Amino acid sequence: MRLTGTPSWLNIRRGRSSEAGDDRTLQRGPAPGQIWAIGGGKGGIGKSFLVANLGAVAASLGRRVILIDVDLGAANLHTCLGVRGGTRVNLSDYLEDRVPDLEKAAIQTPIPGLRLILGALGHIGARETTRAQRSELLRAVRALPADLVILDLAAGTERATLDFFLVSDCSLVVTTPEPTAIENAYGFLRASYYRRLGQALGNSGARDLLRVAMDQRNERGIRTPSDLLDEVERLDPREAQGFRRVLQEFRPRLILNQVRSPEEVKMGFSIRSVCRKYFGIDVEYVGYVNFDNAVWRSVKERRPLVLGYPQSDGALYIRRIAKKILEG
Amino acid sequence: MRSFRSQNFYEILELSPEATLPEIERAYRIARATYQPSSVATYSVFSDDENGEILERIEEAYSVLADSVFRREYDARIRREEPAGRPRVAAEAGSAFGAPEPAPAAYPTRSPQADIELEQSVDPEDGVYDGPVLRRIRLSRGVELEDISVTTKINETYLRFIEENRYQDLPAPVYVRGFLREYAKCLHLDPNRVTQSYMERLSTRAGSQLP
Repeated sequence: MRLTGTPSWLNIRRGRSSEAGDDRTLQRGPAPGQIWAIGGGKGGIGKSFLVANLGAVAASLGRRVILIDVDLGAANLHTCLGVRGGTRVNLSDYLEDRVPDLEKAAIQTPIPGLRLILGALGHIGARETTRAQRSELLRAVRALPADLVILDLAAGTERATLDFFLVSDCSLVVTTPEPTAIENAYGFLRASYYRRLGQALGNSGARDLLRVAMDQRNERGIRTPSDLLDEVERLDPREAQGFRRVLQEFRPRLILNQVRSPEEVKMGFSIRSVCRKYFGIDVEYVGYVNFDNAVWRSVKERRPLVLGYPQSDGALYIRRIAKKILEG
Repeated sequence: MRSFRSQNFYEILELSPEATLPEIERAYRIARATYQPSSVATYSVFSDDENGEILERIEEAYSVLADSVFRREYDARIRREEPAGRPRVAAEAGSAFGAPEPAPAAYPTRSPQADIELEQSVDPEDGVYDGPVLRRIRLSRGVELEDISVTTKINETYLRFIEENRYQDLPAPVYVRGFLREYAKCLHLDPNRVTQSYMERLSTRAGSQLP
């Protein structure tokens, strides 16, 4: 695939680096594990809750897990794990070179096998990372000595958030069955998708076309990604080929949170269908978590649901989702 | 990737060309629910007109694929249009897309069975069927207690007692065993496993609740 204009760090995949001699960090320690990223566009839909619980399940299965709160503006993953933030070492210490090694920013949680890198607490303006910082951070994340690293992404569609989402091995989109959350989830997917396309398409007319398409009210009548593909096909069939590859590789997974009825369970299939018909992408619906009083009790108690209320329905569903993804 | 306007009937219903009738029925139900005018899943993406257009295509696709005669004619037609093997998918992806890899999924890569398993993913991990587990399974399958009562002629109150583990309020074990078998059948569960598991718990717990 032609990836003209693609930042080198987007090619950082397990055991692979984009540039010769760039493997220094990957050679340290044991083989790097998987990276999962959990996003969704909207705040308050349970991303941090799920990160904490999926991490706890993976740790209970014997995986070495590191969770990273990359919500650089409103970090609160630590609270879901019963860890105090305060003045402890955190991600901004690494970004600001106060900690030379990202692993040194990982603190032990009360859960065996589970470590946490706190978000940038108390750092005003921390949300604005430079491209170089993001690139270095991703390289460091890949090099962490863990079987699984889970990134808790910020709400919204900022570049840093989208880039973390796109670079992960497993990109998970979370939504609740409410219209606002679903709308934001589509917005998040659309933004990720177009960002990935922008990186894949060269500096050509196709790229200009993409800019046009990103405005949904554009005058060329390009409303959906399939409209865009038709236009790119007309303009440059070689670029269209790259476009299709991006589609094939972009396989986010969906988790529906706070589900209250069998009808809402099926909403996941509907969202999957819309993604297929609108974006032309194959979203995998990996599971749902029901609305459960035990959930808010566990959040208030600052303890993962799967540990505080292991027999609850929510814990059962989360364990199933974790195992399903871990088993591939 | 093709616009829904140029998708064939299998693609519209997101089915494989080998789909069975129950799979077609299920896909149709989901598709209808997804693209109904008040659908929460589509309103922020498709306009009302587009939604209506998709719904029309869904109805058209279902009316053909659910009828064995129409379906056979339709399959023959798309095979004629795309003579190399399965209806359209493989050939189309290989030629028009020009990609060396297998085609991007024109049809779902996951089997319908995987979806059904997802809906049924509340089955007990430890094989123990108690009242709350049965209730969870019933709800995940969209079955109301009243429906089971009507089908089985078992008083709804007893069904509720079963789900609430109110052993002391249930009739004699011989009746409960019969109720459980019928209940399990309604949810397509194994009646023997459900009955055995529940009755074991009932005999233990009911014994311990005696004064």
